Amino acid sequence: MSILKLENLTYSYDGSKNSILKGISREFEKGSIYAIVGKSGEGKTTTLSLLSGLTSPSEGNIYFDGQNLKNIDKYRYRNTMVGVIFQGYNLLPQLTAEENVVLSLDLTGKKIRNKKEVARKALLSVELDNEKAKRRILKLSGGEQQRVAIARTLCYEPDIILADEPTGNLDNDTGDGIMNIFKKLAREENKCVIIVTHSDKVASFADKVITLKNGLMV
Amino acid sequence: MYIIKNAMKNISRSLGRNILIGIIAFVIAISSTVALSIKQSAISAEEEALKGLVITASISVDRQKLQSEAGTDRELMMELTNSVGILSLEELQKYATSEYVSTFNYTIESSVAENDEFEAYTETEEVVQADPTSNTKIDTNIGVPHTNLGGFSGIGQQGDFTVVGYNDEPGMSDFINGQNKITDGSIFNFTADYTCIISDTLAVYNEIGIGDTITIKNPNLETEIYTLTVSGIYSSTLTSDDVDLKFSAAQDPANQIYTSYNTLSLLAATSSENATVSTNDDGVEVTTALRSTVAGVYSFSNIENYESFKASLTSMGLGEYYSLNSSDLSNYENSLTPIKNLSDFADLFLVLVLGIGGVILVVLNIFNIRERKYEVGVLTAIGMKKFKVALQFMTELFMVTFLAIIFGTIAGAFLSVPIADKLLQNQITAQETTQSQQEENFGRPGMGGGLGGGLGIPVEEDVNYLDSINAATDVSVIAQLMGIGLLLTVISSLGAIVFIVRFEPLKILSNRN
Repeated sequence: MSILKLENLTYSYDGSKNSILKGISREFEKGSIYAIVGKSGEGKTTTLSLLSGLTSPSEGNIYFDGQNLKNIDKYRYRNTMVGVIFQGYNLLPQLTAEENVVLSLDLTGKKIRNKKEVARKALLSVELDNEKAKRRILKLSGGEQQRVAIARTLCYEPDIILADEPTGNLDNDTGDGIMNIFKKLAREENKCVIIVTHSDKVASFADKVITLKNGLMV
Repeated sequence: MYIIKNAMKNISRSLGRNILIGIIAFVIAISSTVALSIKQSAISAEEEALKGLVITASISVDRQKLQSEAGTDRELMMELTNSVGILSLEELQKYATSEYVSTFNYTIESSVAENDEFEAYTETEEVVQADPTSNTKIDTNIGVPHTNLGGFSGIGQQGDFTVVGYNDEPGMSDFINGQNKITDGSIFNFTADYTCIISDTLAVYNEIGIGDTITIKNPNLETEIYTLTVSGIYSSTLTSDDVDLKFSAAQDPANQIYTSYNTLSLLAATSSENATVSTNDDGVEVTTALRSTVAGVYSFSNIENYESFKASLTSMGLGEYYSLNSSDLSNYENSLTPIKNLSDFADLFLVLVLGIGGVILVVLNIFNIRERKYEVGVLTAIGMKKFKVALQFMTELFMVTFLAIIFGTIAGAFLSVPIADKLLQNQITAQETTQSQQEENFGRPGMGGGLGGGLGIPVEEDVNYLDSINAATDVSVIAQLMGIGLLLTVISSLGAIVFIVRFEPLKILSNRN
């Protein structure tokens, strides 16, 4: 059974007559990596925003685990069910790496005994040691910040991980390291990983590559 | 819980911004503490003054009413004046039975003349010596330092001494308030035993000691001599300089003789029995009787009783041309004027401080939120509800404001006392200057109540303004400050909350990226 299902998904920007997404229907399953590729302006990031609940479709429905996203609290969806890794990382610079991760745990509302310990484990899983965990975000490199962003989503174990250009700002080696993490998450932890990218190399890590063209997924 | 934790982290990591907010809140807190302390203290001072206030009042002829009835008709005025007699002791006592009256005391007062053995103390050329052979009419009520006498009955000669007879000790207000004090011997008996007390000045002047007798004469009949035994000698803080317009030696405080009501009323009654009545050259009947006048003073435990008594007088039979007057009450109200002014000023100051401070905080918070737009975007994007974001921002502001208010309250508590005293002194000086200027405008520089009381001119008596307030920052002030702090936080956060609610995380983050 699919964890995420798009049904006749259509989206157009406010006031625009032309839809950027035109009646897309698609299913995503756990344990797989999906790469959504396409040229700039084809609606890759918009698709990711729709899947993460940051914006709502003009028409059509998105189902998470059989439940229509319209009937799910979007904040709850984002802080427990889906993990979003933004292109610009979107970490809080005044906090340390560990605090950023702990904040995500706080938002889940779950009673977790030692949140710091859980956060450290999540950071270690993306190869950030305790010393780096104590650093503020701006004291970390781009690759390290990307890892913190991944750790922030991993810590509360969502079923779906959405990543927008996760290696866009990284060198090849670091990018490969990040992609291996995603591969591990899909294979070993049965997560559904959906990556938006324009990089063929990143797409090569995916189990399924979906191309966005003229508002349709092909 | 994590909201508080995050708020604390954010405060410690954005010190510059929070110190700025803290300074503004600190200034608001100091100003508010001072203003609230002054206001609170003014209320307390008013209540305390009211608590300790014993209101005394007397019934007198309502000259203003007579004047308004008569208008410009002089003859009607005289007719009305003659028709309104002075109330007798029996009448005064009748009103004293009212349930609203706490105590009732009464006095009798006469003017008596000196003789060779016992002379009045004189020190100024202003004194007009009584001439027993002359029939010059002197309004003996003029300048008598004791007001509310209501005027002497009939026309008689002005003497050299004023003899006052009291019915009881509680009525001797000059001894109660400390103006007069027995320095030798003891107070007279309140029975008719012909004992009296005289001033130390008079005692030295006439070489009189305790147990000696003094002889005084009826100014209307020089052969009528009264003998009194001196039981005590008193000193007075009042001197002849304190009495304005001394028409006779009898008005000099040194020439006041105090005795019991029973003694003096007996002397007056005896004199009246033995008096002869004749008609002078002007066709006016003249009696040789010792003139005397009776006055009553009613005491009330509170203002409500005073007002109730005043309202009930008509139903008890008091004529329309009489009125109940209390200098205590008007003095009390006047004494509070500077404090009330100060309290009003504190109110205005508080409103201004809160208004201006509130606007500054609102603006600062709007800038603050705009600056932290990215943070709002991230928090909402990762699943923090907008109201929780707003709550976290409010918590940060509240913590900073609360801390600033604590320090501001402490500083304000120390500053409020000297500031309040300084402001109060300024108020009193301004009040006194205004009063003095008004007196001068009426041609009465430095005049007290003596003239006004006698002539029926409404002259303000010397007012003892409440000149110090205990500007204390009490629990009530602290509670109000906390309320203000909370209110300021909420108000200044409102703008920020509106922004947070309107922010769309996707837009914020897209712009940022």
